[in-house]
Amino acid sequence: MGWIITGMGAVAATGGDVAGFFGALCAGRSAHAPLRGFDPTRYRARNAYEIDDRPASGDVPLRASRWLERAVAAALRDAGMGERLGDVPVLVGTTLRELRSVELSWRDGVPFDPADLHFGAVLGRRFGATRTYTVANACAASLYALGLGTDLLELGECDTVVVAGVDTITESTYGLLDRCYPEAPDRIRPFDRDRRGMLQGEGAAAVVLRRAADGPGPAGRRHATVRGVAVNCDAAHPSAPDAGSIGAAIREAHERSGVRPADIDLVMLHGTGTPLNDEAEAGALAEVFGTAAGRPHMTAVKSMTGHTAGASGLHSLVAGVEAMRTGTVPPTVHLDDPIDEVAGFRLVRGAAAHTTGLSVAQVDSFGFGGLNAVAIVERAVRS
Amino acid sequence: MNAPAMDVPADDLVVTGTGLALRGVGEPRRLLAPHPPPGDGDDPVARLTGRGLRYRDRATRLAMCAARDALAAAGLVRPPGTPGDLTVPAHRAGVVASTNYGNVDTVCDTVTTIAKETYTGTSPMALPATASNVVASWVAITHGLHGANLTLCNGETSGLDAVHWARQLVAAGRVGWVLVIGVEPVNPPVRHLATGGTGTDARLLDGAAALVVETAGSARERGAPALAAIGPYARKGTWHEAVAAVRGPGAEPVGLWCAPGGTVPPHALDPAQTCDLTATLGECSGALGVLQAVAGTAWLHGGGSADVLATAGTGRDGGADASAALILRAAR
Repeated sequence: MGWIITGMGAVAATGGDVAGFFGALCAGRSAHAPLRGFDPTRYRARNAYEIDDRPASGDVPLRASRWLERAVAAALRDAGMGERLGDVPVLVGTTLRELRSVELSWRDGVPFDPADLHFGAVLGRRFGATRTYTVANACAASLYALGLGTDLLELGECDTVVVAGVDTITESTYGLLDRCYPEAPDRIRPFDRDRRGMLQGEGAAAVVLRRAADGPGPAGRRHATVRGVAVNCDAAHPSAPDAGSIGAAIREAHERSGVRPADIDLVMLHGTGTPLNDEAEAGALAEVFGTAAGRPHMTAVKSMTGHTAGASGLHSLVAGVEAMRTGTVPPTVHLDDPIDEVAGFRLVRGAAAHTTGLSVAQVDSFGFGGLNAVAIVERAVRS
Repeated sequence: MNAPAMDVPADDLVVTGTGLALRGVGEPRRLLAPHPPPGDGDDPVARLTGRGLRYRDRATRLAMCAARDALAAAGLVRPPGTPGDLTVPAHRAGVVASTNYGNVDTVCDTVTTIAKETYTGTSPMALPATASNVVASWVAITHGLHGANLTLCNGETSGLDAVHWARQLVAAGRVGWVLVIGVEPVNPPVRHLATGGTGTDARLLDGAAALVVETAGSARERGAPALAAIGPYARKGTWHEAVAAVRGPGAEPVGLWCAPGGTVPPHALDPAQTCDLTATLGECSGALGVLQAVAGTAWLHGGGSADVLATAGTGRDGGADASAALILRAAR
């Protein structure tokens, strides 16, 4: 059992397509830069990981919708599919939808049609898609959507499903995060003793999925196989994660996929660089993996992409799939002094790791509201 | 009308409890009345008590009221005095919430504050509500629901889509019980957004509806009454396509039609009864489909025997991205 990833697309501040995105990560090139989108005098934080595609005249609505369009179009092209989707379901995971457009409308009077608040509007216009679902599942959204997509295929509701994730930075989240941290983070430092919190990133990612039994479809491409996706909810705190519940999600993902911790070669960490996430994630991994915790390579790409929120799960997945294909694992940059909790882990630091035999990857994705989604992906076997 | 004595197959999905948080509407049957509820009813959120409510947004409070009633009606929580005590395994109980405007107030109020006072004027307590899943999150925390937790912000069809995804989660074996919530609040930012920045005096729903779904087999095992069975669902580009997809050729006459609001294209449905919640409650947005499912359940439980056809979103002909349709049937 499993579902073939037969098309992939990615848009991020590190690169506008899968090759550019992954190439930058492997080179350790971060998109970290001074804040450009908002008036910097309003904040203590100074930096972000933006896609600075705004016109010189100022910010404009629907930037997230356009990145989503590009990522989905790229994934369809990669899968050899036409752009007329009709009844092919498209599931879009997001934290902030088009709420940046709402901010511009409310505060600056920039015109915005409320019908564009969810992504069915742009997907209908561009791809003629009608079975579109905007899943607002915080920073676990795109892997949650991946789970829902595999369910659709498993229940025979469709033969092909497009799963995507997208997010843009809003001023409200940027300002409130700034308000919450004791000190403004200068950059994302996952699992580092000096980590101070997360800074947001932007972008989109999309994959085309088909049942393994049906084969890869028109382009014949098998990037990887999704073995299983587990989802759950801490039901404990609106923003602080729960290590026990994260561990339960990891364990369920392994069970669904028929793998044991010792089978995992690569863990694409959620790794936000917040004090609480990194501690909880490391604790859950140590608990579930036990003596196998030192075996898999581990990395956290948010150190270069910023926290791309609803898109981050699929960004990690695309990077993980490319890592297995190329044998190159991107480094976690700015991880200089690891916390005790990751002492035994094989974290890739400094420069990319080159290795062979990466076959199974675990992708972590956790969000506000205690949402957890964990996917297991297997490298495509060359046919 | 007498409902035929007919059991639904054990794996069919049924509704086992409903709840409402709507000014002037006590019983779900009241949704079927052709006139608006009295405007001077008590605010439903006044029923909530407890710590921490101060920092919950309007949508969350409304949803908590409706959710509590639906869970109690379905017998999923123990009677008052033992709050949060579930009668089913917590990791098998999920939530699907539908809202389009739920957290717009937090987002807009925050940027106003930042412009005036910088980020230092904001309250850190507002952070969780910047994410659009805040309603589902608080409901899960309140009742200890650890299963799959989804928030759909899917435009006009969002409420019916939420019922569909509840069924998907059960059918896929991820959970055994799903609390479905549809909620929309009214406040100045919502009014601004919903009226395209004009802020005109449109009637907008301020309320929530909730229902519990599970398989007929599970309901029987628990001794919970199956109030309605959930039939076919479709989301299509036009209203006609959505209706045709769920009714199929030679379909039974429609007993109750829940109209989508807006201008519906000419059709030959000829329903015995029509329920236009947009006309009685105002624009219901992401709450509409869940309100329709609660109204349809009340109609069926009250003796209605023919199909309920719920439709939301007028589709591309009506300027929306899609239209959704869902059939509800008598459970027994």
